[in-house]
Amino acid sequence: MTGQARLRRPGAAVLAAFLRRDLREALTYKFSFVASLAGIFLSSATFYFVAKLVPAGTPSLGPFGGDYFSFAVVGVAFAGLLGMFQEGLAAVVRSAQLSGTLEALLVTPVPVPMVLFGSSLYSLLFQVFRTALHLAVALAFFGLALGRVSGAGVALVGLLTIICFLSVGVLSASFVLVYKTGNPFSWILGTVSGLLGGVVFPVALLPPWIRWVSSLIPVTYALDGMRKSLLASAAFAEVLPDIAALAAFDAVLVPLSLVAFRLAVRKAKRDGTLSHY
Amino acid sequence: MSEAPVLLAEKLVKRYPIFRGFRELVFKPFDRRTVTALDGLDLEVGRGRVFCLLGPNGAGKTTLIKILAGLVLPDGGRALVDGHDVAREPGPARTAVGTAVSDERSFYWRLTGRQNLEFFGALYGLRGAARDRRIEEVLRIAGLDGAAGLRFNGYSTGMRQMLAFARALLADAAILLVDEPTRSLDPQAADRIRSFLRDELAGRQGKTILWATHDLGEAADCADDIAVISRGRIHLSGPAASLAGGGRAALHQAYERAVGGGEGRP
Repeated sequence: MTGQARLRRPGAAVLAAFLRRDLREALTYKFSFVASLAGIFLSSATFYFVAKLVPAGTPSLGPFGGDYFSFAVVGVAFAGLLGMFQEGLAAVVRSAQLSGTLEALLVTPVPVPMVLFGSSLYSLLFQVFRTALHLAVALAFFGLALGRVSGAGVALVGLLTIICFLSVGVLSASFVLVYKTGNPFSWILGTVSGLLGGVVFPVALLPPWIRWVSSLIPVTYALDGMRKSLLASAAFAEVLPDIAALAAFDAVLVPLSLVAFRLAVRKAKRDGTLSHY
Repeated sequence: MSEAPVLLAEKLVKRYPIFRGFRELVFKPFDRRTVTALDGLDLEVGRGRVFCLLGPNGAGKTTLIKILAGLVLPDGGRALVDGHDVAREPGPARTAVGTAVSDERSFYWRLTGRQNLEFFGALYGLRGAARDRRIEEVLRIAGLDGAAGLRFNGYSTGMRQMLAFARALLADAAILLVDEPTRSLDPQAADRIRSFLRDELAGRQGKTILWATHDLGEAADCADDIAVISRGRIHLSGPAASLAGGGRAALHQAYERAVGGGEGRP
């Protein structure tokens, strides 16, 4: 080859390279790979037995099909997925800062946003796979009670949720680029979502004075919409309020996160701390 | 210099903010203090030259390399890489240089040397058979063709440094930035790296090399041109033949006069 290599616009091939890299690395940790999948079975088994304590037809479970096991499994499976979308980007930035690979990635022609997305793609896809496997295990071995599934509801709620949580992830990554640790987005949303988002119990059980906080966090609408679409045989129109709420979150978070990320990269380059840890 | 320089810095300024403790942040929130890394630095590197940037620790060498590599934005002045302003045209500027990030932590330790190069090759836009050919080529140039299938964590420090050069060569950029490439190497490995840069990359491949070092002997032996940097400024610059023509002792005296026995940034 003479002169400079013919450089093409980065795209699918670059993302594929990130995926291949991470899969190769993951396969060198075979026990961790297997243990991560085994954890799914144990989680389902735990909620299977906890569900025996909750009588069928409990009123607060009514809007979600009435079965606590199905309610909890969908909540836990999707909360794990949303957590990864919310924290995955920041985690890969932090990991690359600590491992020392970030600088080598940033001197390549690949734009910073694609470095960030590519670096987290494997974790995101693996978590999607884990979520699907979680539901499949619950269905095959523990009697997950799916209703008449609304494909349109699942697809739209899923898409808007992913956009929403990826935006939170970009905000988190922006914070980590500049301040390195102590990411408040992850802490606030991670902690609050577990308690107030209705992951393992219905939001309706919360005292009224705190229930209103649930309406301010996107996980409430994401899980609500997903459970109605998967478990409660809800018509598409019944999921529309959740879809509208998620769309509103997206409308605010997408531009906010993009601006924050641009400012964070610029500040880190100005301060000379892009690859510091 | 008759031909346009491939690396150009004009009145380049970089100041880093000084870390402030909680107390200062609370009681003096607007008191933003900085330390000056580059203080109006001017530099020109001609095509095909081995240019050694010689200076003590904290002189500003790494900051200049990082600005040219697109990792740090300057606060003033401008820096051009093959005619592209690093602040205004970061994409073309980054593709015009190969930066040898010599930190051994910049690789994926559980992947083999070849797998690491396959990954970074993809980031440089190389695909399929062309990528594989280029990887074989840079492995051969770096003398690692026999070790390409070994995991990176099995490489010696010298092999890791050579793999960093192989990675920097993937895109076949005409300009290479190398920052203290012989640091932490034993004398024999350091000599191999020096002759690799001087004879192979500059001599046979015709690369322009900006080479930051604090080793006077390295600069005297390998450079076409030398610039002495201290406290963010170039104090002395010229062809190595004139600066080091009287041997290492003469270069040492010139260096001492230029730096004044001073250190760079603390």
